[in-house]
Amino acid sequence: MKPSSAGFHTGRDARNAGGFNRWMLAAAIAYVAATAALRWRAALPAISPALQWLLVGTALLFAVEATRRYVLYLRQADELLRRIQLEALGLGFAAGAVVALLYPLFELLGAPALGGRGIAVVLLLAWAAGSWLAARRYSGGT
Amino acid sequence: MRNRLRVLRAERSWSQGELADRLGVSRQTVNAIETGRYDPSLPLAFSIARLFDLAIEQVFEPEG
Repeated sequence: MKPSSAGFHTGRDARNAGGFNRWMLAAAIAYVAATAALRWRAALPAISPALQWLLVGTALLFAVEATRRYVLYLRQADELLRRIQLEALGLGFAAGAVVALLYPLFELLGAPALGGRGIAVVLLLAWAAGSWLAARRYSGGT
Repeated sequence: MRNRLRVLRAERSWSQGELADRLGVSRQTVNAIETGRYDPSLPLAFSIARLFDLAIEQVFEPEG
């Protein structure tokens, strides 16, 4: 029998993760395109207001679809994988909340401004680190 | 919780991947249960016991 359950993913998990990753990538590309277009719209007259709305709307739609795919991935995930993702999301949320609440105090002390994007980056990095740490915790040994 | 999963699997000469496929879980889930890093949910514990044609307490027992 050819095993379909390599690593932390069953075959279905791998398919769902692939779908999420593709939409996440599409959302990231759309986000970068929309950001660039809005930042340089004064220098690029070809970017009409309608096109600007279209770019931002596309980024939003792709992000919503990526979110839907992630929820589907979690709902159908192998139970250990779901535990790992719960721990990762917990760490990501906690890190994001701590930075969002405490970093403004450091800004008052003279630290550079972080902004909403900076907090989102911290949250995403903590989520990724949490995934790695939790996967490490439950793996090893044969 | 202690379990006899590794012994039961070895008696049937199944790899972790084969057992995982029979249970519909990942290979790492089987590995984590065997090594005591993860206690399965009740439905999965019942599925494991049913697969080996045993009562659940013949596969799993509380520690201490």
